[in-house]
Amino acid sequence: MASEEKPLVVVTCTAPVNIAVIKYWGKRDEDLVLPINSSLSVTLHQDQLKTTTTAAISKDFTEDRIWLNGREEDVGQPRLQACLREIRRLARKRRSTGDEDPPPLSLSYKVHIASVNNFPTAAGLASSAAGHACLAYTLARVYGVDSDLSEAARRGSGSACRSLYGGFVEWQMGERADGKDSVARQVAPESHWPELRVLILVVSAERKPMGSTAGMQTSVETSPLLRFRAEAVVPGRMVEMTHCVRERDFQGFGRLTMKDSNQFHATCLDTFPPISYLSDISRRIIRLVHCFNAHHGQTKVAYTFDAGPNAVVFTLDDTVPEFVAAVRHCFPPESNGDKFLKGLPVRPASLSDELRAALDVDPTPGGVKYIIATQVGPGPQTLDDPHAHLLGPDGLPKPAA
Amino acid sequence: MASEEKPLVVVTCTAPVNIAVIKYWGKRDEDLVLPINSSLSVTLHQDQLKTTTTAAISKDFTEDRIWLNGREEDVGQPRLQACLREIRRLARKRRSTGDEDPPPLSLSYKVHIASVNNFPTAAGLASSAAGHACLAYTLARVYGVDSDLSEAARRGSGSACRSLYGGFVEWQMGERADGKDSVARQVAPESHWPELRVLILVVSAERKPMGSTAGMQTSVETSPLLRFRAEAVVPGRMVEMTHCVRERDFQGFGRLTMKDSNQFHATCLDTFPPISYLSDISRRIIRLVHCFNAHHGQTKVAYTFDAGPNAVVFTLDDTVPEFVAAVRHCFPPESNGDKSQPWGRVHGCAA
Repeated sequence: MASEEKPLVVVTCTAPVNIAVIKYWGKRDEDLVLPINSSLSVTLHQDQLKTTTTAAISKDFTEDRIWLNGREEDVGQPRLQACLREIRRLARKRRSTGDEDPPPLSLSYKVHIASVNNFPTAAGLASSAAGHACLAYTLARVYGVDSDLSEAARRGSGSACRSLYGGFVEWQMGERADGKDSVARQVAPESHWPELRVLILVVSAERKPMGSTAGMQTSVETSPLLRFRAEAVVPGRMVEMTHCVRERDFQGFGRLTMKDSNQFHATCLDTFPPISYLSDISRRIIRLVHCFNAHHGQTKVAYTFDAGPNAVVFTLDDTVPEFVAAVRHCFPPESNGDKFLKGLPVRPASLSDELRAALDVDPTPGGVKYIIATQVGPGPQTLDDPHAHLLGPDGLPKPAA
Repeated sequence: MASEEKPLVVVTCTAPVNIAVIKYWGKRDEDLVLPINSSLSVTLHQDQLKTTTTAAISKDFTEDRIWLNGREEDVGQPRLQACLREIRRLARKRRSTGDEDPPPLSLSYKVHIASVNNFPTAAGLASSAAGHACLAYTLARVYGVDSDLSEAARRGSGSACRSLYGGFVEWQMGERADGKDSVARQVAPESHWPELRVLILVVSAERKPMGSTAGMQTSVETSPLLRFRAEAVVPGRMVEMTHCVRERDFQGFGRLTMKDSNQFHATCLDTFPPISYLSDISRRIIRLVHCFNAHHGQTKVAYTFDAGPNAVVFTLDDTVPEFVAAVRHCFPPESNGDKSQPWGRVHGCAA
């Protein structure tokens, strides 16, 4: 059956943010985006954080174009091109399975892409991974590609490959020089650990932090500790973390998450010139977590920090109210603070006198701008509702609602 | 000739502060204070920073006593005792060299010790090393000990052994379990590099930092990166730093000093729970130094930080005025020291 040539093929998909608990930092190949160590992440729920991307192909389009958060961007940007080329390459390679479809004419059509996040980019909330995963996934749907998308996502942004799955995901570093074995795969599904909660503490960013691409390159070039981490520490931690996830061992999961966040930041400090992503507020949050856990005599909450000052705190659902109360106590919201808590509802709780005494910190008003409460979530989704498309029938972004 | 029994023997000495450029952090033996890696330091001039200690022995004293900065302290404190015992042990061992002095009666006398710093202890200016070195050195004079004092100083405070010499000093980690080869020795004398200057940027301490003894113990127990540093990184850096000092290569000296400070703090961050000695102000000072060097296209100033937020900046004499002006620009001195400012301050520069 000959493929139908529709005037416009439009697909809209969403993809999630992921937070690494065993960190990726450093490439062994800049072009193919191959990492020096494996990494493991938790996929966050799209109800709170997601990228939505619409891709449309039409014989009437004269050039590839892309709009991010309503603004047209340069589609020639190397990372976008790398993803686009890879998807088109996979589309050309697609095996026919009984149909005698020739490579569709649509491969020669230009594509229009529009992408939006439901969270602010300026908040430093790992939008690059969600965005590039969504791009790869959406283009794959448009071009009818169903093979592994790790490479297409990776070459946009390394950690994007981990956003191709829900639940708990590992990015196996691979050994091949061509990177074909550097792929993401799901370790456990989103339904595996229903009690797990994720609190994102959005912190004021005093300075724009150093971009991770340049940062990790400098780390690889200058930090002796990083190479040791990649070769001698991470492999064992990947095994241990996988085990903690599978066993739903929060103590082990939490401790290892904190240790790996700290070690990643340690290698940043061992870089020359040194990179400091942790601010004074970050450090106070770290101290709060350790106090909270010491008070309870066990690991009940665990922090992790990426290349910026925001804290991501993991805990179980029954601990959320008390920990949020502790954050409010240490970082009293500024007066418009009814917007302090977003996402999943959290019931109010008060601190016990003992905990209040244990926290023993000078409050830092406004130190935490707001908290997003979320949980583990699914991988990319395709939206069936035509109203969800970000591009109109003319292939241009719909006016903002 | 029989030794004279004086009613009171009094000796007063001074000892310097030292700043490590290849850092000591972590012991392989807590009791003997043996480190997991060697370290190398620069001895600072006593005109600006010193400890002065007077020790007196008398048959009329009924007990050992010690006063630090005017306040009587507990002389039974283990580190003081370790130093005292070691000096007395060395005194008993002292070989006679023609004199037929028996071990002096004074070994059974009690000692009174008073010690003061010419700089504030609360400023976190490495007073422990100067103090313990001075104690060991002064007691040695009182008891007539002239052997190596590394162990006596070390067991008071590890880095104190480096304050037993001027100029540039290394503390060789040693290999023996009894620590007899864990000694300090001079790498180059104080006259070796006359253009070298040291600026100490005294920063507001928002919290009392974690003490280094407990801190380094936790690091040894929990940081995988620290063990790698001690075994695989520091040995090469000791060789390289010694070379830079001997050649008066400021570029090399400066870069390596900064890298080693950062790596030390990296291992603190890799500790569990993590230790952060660097504050936001410390990080701004780091940024200032890198900016300043980038502007000049070479390493003209170099920072190092110990277990606290104060910065020690090395530079050559011709760069001091410009760098001090840069510090004033980035950290304008307060006129009245208003403590309500949300950001910290650089209090002063001691050059």
